[in-house]
Amino acid sequence: MIRLNNIVATYSTVRGQVNAVDGVDLAIPNGNIVGIAGESGCGKSTLLKIIYGDIIYPLALSRGHIDYGIESNKGEITTKDIQQYWFKRISYIPQSSMSSLNPVVRIRQQFLDFLEPRQNKKAILEEIRDYVKGLDLPPEALDAYPHQLSGGMRQRIMVAMGTFFKPDIILADEPTTALDVVVQKGILLLLMDIQEQMKNTILFVSHDMGVHYQISHKMLIMYAAKVVEFGDSDSVFKASLHPYTKMLIEALPTIGDAHQREGVSGRPPSLWDNLVGCRFAARCPFATELCKTEEPAFIEHQPGHFAACHHVDKVRQA
Amino acid sequence: MNLIQYILTRVGSYLVILFVGITVTFFLPRLMPSDPIEGYINQIQTQAGQTMDPAAITKLRQSLRELYGLEGNLVSQYFNYLKKVFFEFDFGPSLSGFPKPVSEYILQALPWTAGLLGVSIIFSWLIGNLIGLLAGFFHNTRWATGLEVVGVILYPIPYYILALVLILLFAYVWPIFPLSTTIRPGPMSIGKIRLIVYNSFLPALTLVLAGFGWNVLGMKALSFANKEEGYVQFARLKGVPSRTIMFQYVAKNSFLPQITALALSIGGIFNGALLTEILFSYPGLGLRMRTAIGNGDFNMLYGTVTISIIAVATAALIIDLLYPFFDPRIRYQ
Repeated sequence: MIRLNNIVATYSTVRGQVNAVDGVDLAIPNGNIVGIAGESGCGKSTLLKIIYGDIIYPLALSRGHIDYGIESNKGEITTKDIQQYWFKRISYIPQSSMSSLNPVVRIRQQFLDFLEPRQNKKAILEEIRDYVKGLDLPPEALDAYPHQLSGGMRQRIMVAMGTFFKPDIILADEPTTALDVVVQKGILLLLMDIQEQMKNTILFVSHDMGVHYQISHKMLIMYAAKVVEFGDSDSVFKASLHPYTKMLIEALPTIGDAHQREGVSGRPPSLWDNLVGCRFAARCPFATELCKTEEPAFIEHQPGHFAACHHVDKVRQA
Repeated sequence: MNLIQYILTRVGSYLVILFVGITVTFFLPRLMPSDPIEGYINQIQTQAGQTMDPAAITKLRQSLRELYGLEGNLVSQYFNYLKKVFFEFDFGPSLSGFPKPVSEYILQALPWTAGLLGVSIIFSWLIGNLIGLLAGFFHNTRWATGLEVVGVILYPIPYYILALVLILLFAYVWPIFPLSTTIRPGPMSIGKIRLIVYNSFLPALTLVLAGFGWNVLGMKALSFANKEEGYVQFARLKGVPSRTIMFQYVAKNSFLPQITALALSIGGIFNGALLTEILFSYPGLGLRMRTAIGNGDFNMLYGTVTISIIAVATAALIIDLLYPFFDPRIRYQ
């Protein structure tokens, strides 16, 4: 279980400090694909950075801590030493495989260069070849340069790199955004397969609610630096407790339904402002005076289904 | 398309460049209104202080024209010249060092220039780029800024100014090195090699310093930009050790434009080397060229200019042919 204890992540800028993640407090059970959704700038990527332990200036973890629930031979892993376990216990699959591979070095070398220098490279290379074969990639792909592979093959290589050591946690930051839908489906199925075999926890960021519906076991919805809803995908999609989630899902087109979809009108508040009350209040059809003055708490309304809204009952009935 | 075709295209364009260069060197002096033979005859007459027999003059003119390849019309002269240069490496006799052929002088001077140029290009390119890489990779440290300042100061200084400053400092104020190069002919020995290194040190230092700043600045900007690339960020997130990131990721990608820049700048460096040789009286092609101009030694001038064209074009060709080994994205097309 990954436990995020009241995480506040702050960027230092010329204008001053801004909290890109502001008080995230929840527990993610092991062995799930957790979909993280929310609009641009809501803090999804910052949250991933914090969990990954890639905390370098101007980003800082100003409050809270993370319990990864991973034991190493030196005790429990913390944000301080997680960097030593990058790609061994926790890995990261970036968005664009196009620019994430070194253009002038062969793929196999890029597979090997994060290993300890004293490890037996030949034996590991054989293992990598076997592993890559299992991912629907021609083994020659390892001997190629990145420009010789298609976008889909490159993304498979990224998945292979990220999963080769069977890490406990995999962070995927929009891994399919740059691909066409057919290739996208292949990559998603691959990730699901791998997760089913290895039983690791995947945190999967995507803007695409359709993708989330397909692969995520749990959903985490973020809005303006806060988590507004978290729960099993089924109950989040079928019985959302937060109006923002509801509006996101209603904006999804379905096959055979021709009527015009409504977007979520308005814009999220600026994180620079002094934010009082519910951050979604200005765009919320259910908002009352209470919402404008008092911040709703992030509460477990049903077993395993959390939301931060004063009017959960009204949202459920609507 | 394959490797052989790639090489053939490059060699083909190399030959065209040589042909154009040599053609221009042939025609350019012939566009001058003065005739070297008439000038020579006039000179003899003035020196003799009396008019010569017209028949003797005609005979002299005839034999001089034959000797210097100036008989016949322009077209036949041109083809004769091409044949001699390309197939016989013959530029005729030196006018000032008659009858020793120009090619012999050139072969004597060539190793000096090639040695000086080769050593100084390798040093200024490798060290300059290495320093630039470090300065770009650790761009937020104070010493990186210091190195950049050194680069900014060095790169706009022309070769001749740098050479004069070095002569002033290290041959006059602190006479550590000789003012001009004096190397006696003789068999190679350890002592002679030491003498050559000692005598060539200042000219080489001039060339190294002059090329250095540009390499530092270029490489610093390139590696600084490369550090922000997705593959470097991803490598960092993979936990790749930062030494590997610097050499395998940043350096490998940043060196590519610098290789191209080297190929493009070889002509300029060569010019600088010629000037530097003149200032240090270094016995290379530059000094030969300079004395040839002073003495009106046309054949020598033709020879040295032609060999310069060949040298620069060949160096660029070699870099061009080696480039696919550094960048796998270059196709043999």
